[in-house]
Amino acid sequence: MRLDLRGVSVTLDGSPIVREAGLEVGEGEFAGLVGPNGCGKSTLLRAVYRALRPTAGLVAVDGDDLHRLPARRAARRVAVMAQEIPADLDFTVAEIVLMGRTPYRADAAADERRCARALDRVGLAGAAERVFATLSGGEKQRALLARALVQETRLLLLDEPTSHLDVRHQLELLHLVRELGTELGIATLAVLHDLNQAAAFCDRLYVMNAGRVVAGGPPAQVLTPELISEVYGVRAVRRTQLVFERLREER
Amino acid sequence: MTGTIRRSPARTGPAPRARRASRFALLVAALLAAVVAATWLAVSIGAVPVALSQAWGIVADRLVPGVVPRTWTPVQEQIVWEFRLPRALLALLVGAGLAVVGAVLQALVRNPLADPFLLGVSSGASFGAVCVLVLGASALGGLSLSAAAFAGSLLALGLVYALAQRSGRLTPSRLVLAGVALAYLFQAAYSFVLQLAQSGRAAQQVLFWLMGSLGGARWHVLPVPAAVLAAGVTYLLLQHRPLNALAAGEETAASLGVNVSRFRLTLFVLTSLLVGVLVATSGAIAFVGLIVPHAARLLVGADHRRVLPVTALLGAVFLQLVDVAARTVNAPQELALSIVTALFGVPFFLWLLRRRSADRAVSVL
Repeated sequence: MRLDLRGVSVTLDGSPIVREAGLEVGEGEFAGLVGPNGCGKSTLLRAVYRALRPTAGLVAVDGDDLHRLPARRAARRVAVMAQEIPADLDFTVAEIVLMGRTPYRADAAADERRCARALDRVGLAGAAERVFATLSGGEKQRALLARALVQETRLLLLDEPTSHLDVRHQLELLHLVRELGTELGIATLAVLHDLNQAAAFCDRLYVMNAGRVVAGGPPAQVLTPELISEVYGVRAVRRTQLVFERLREER
Repeated sequence: MTGTIRRSPARTGPAPRARRASRFALLVAALLAAVVAATWLAVSIGAVPVALSQAWGIVADRLVPGVVPRTWTPVQEQIVWEFRLPRALLALLVGAGLAVVGAVLQALVRNPLADPFLLGVSSGASFGAVCVLVLGASALGGLSLSAAAFAGSLLALGLVYALAQRSGRLTPSRLVLAGVALAYLFQAAYSFVLQLAQSGRAAQQVLFWLMGSLGGARWHVLPVPAAVLAAGVTYLLLQHRPLNALAAGEETAASLGVNVSRFRLTLFVLTSLLVGVLVATSGAIAFVGLIVPHAARLLVGADHRRVLPVTALLGAVFLQLVDVAARTVNAPQELALSIVTALFGVPFFLWLLRRRSADRAVSVL
């Protein structure tokens, strides 16, 4: 499974948010998307999981235009773990996770097994019957990851998966996603906030600024002090990144 | 991917799904029995006493003539068959319909305090009804009360949609704002018409109608609401998974393969039509659509596959009992149904509000 974005532009209420963005994510790869607030990275991600329709350009999964596929078939190719909070209607964790089967024909027994397996995989095996709203922030994120897993797509999108989490849970979650990606051959595209984490976890990193993808490649090549000062307007020191990279090699 | 998730296999043990399924079946059976029992009670109770066995006999005799020996008078038969039974059946339809609409709107606008009258449709219907009651049918081209109420609800539906949509898309917040604004507009409009009327009798009649009554129930009233309700509930049951996804969020639903703007528009039109048809037959009955879905969720959780049928049955039983109370408490005078539903509804509403603000620290208003 690979994702290709070519010349994608998104205009919201008349103002261009994303301009001719292009990027690619290969089979089993973990790609990061970083950039300052308001640079259009979440909007670009929305155009991939079809919450928005790009005004121009191509979003292709394995060569098929995602916005031309019927909605259900597209949802069998791309899953997302985003920040949206469900309505306050007391859904249980299992019910939230089973929503991942919406694009498929229902098969109660098999879906139940998939749900149990996914919850087990994200470390929430005992929480199936708990009310989602009562979970902690980290547990909620993991439940939403389980929902994305039962959707059984080969492409996973993450929209700031680590916001609201403390540093330990941030690292745990990213490790988990990376592990799953390698294990199941899932390609992942994640909007990340923390440049150090991005450098540590991504095989490939894209940097956006003012609606454009301005750089892409292996993190070490992309995150140069020059680029960071140009995009974020801050002075960066390389040392932090190296610490994280060492951590990554030790794993 | 299914086969490749390693680590421990799915946990077996007591299968929660099977247990939940049998509990659900039991609950539905109990509710069906309650529907029958409440209806049976409703056709027996009233100014002219009819024993339970007589009521049963009258209905059985009508369906299969001569199947039971006649133990009742022709007057009893006329009262049960021509007035009480259609009224009891209408109570079931209206109760089920308002409750289901409430459940759907709570998911559609993602707010647990939504109810069928949120979108201004009932105010539009009331406006149409007031016009007929005060100005007379001839002023409106011979429309009957319920036809005028339905026309008013369609007018409100069209206006709310025109205000709430932007290039064909509806967003929950705009929907609520447009609905609330138009509700006020229509309330002002029918108050104005009422003031013009200056007739005490018409005003009282209007007031009674606005607060809900099943007094107009006859057999010929039933087919339209029955057909609309059956079609609506069937569609909604088939769509329980997209409904769940929508309750989880618009973008989530889109990512799960739901065509959000089309689905939302369908739900908006469907619920508005249902409310229009129901309000046209029985006036604006408050609180049923707000409290019954929550009671159903307390019983079966949030999954619409279980919430919708339980909500419909619970709403039917609830309104049946409310109507029995409304007819008997102050007999021979009838209470308006909203008075009785408010008696149950307001405490429940406040409890819901307190529970939510205490447990979750989530503001729902």
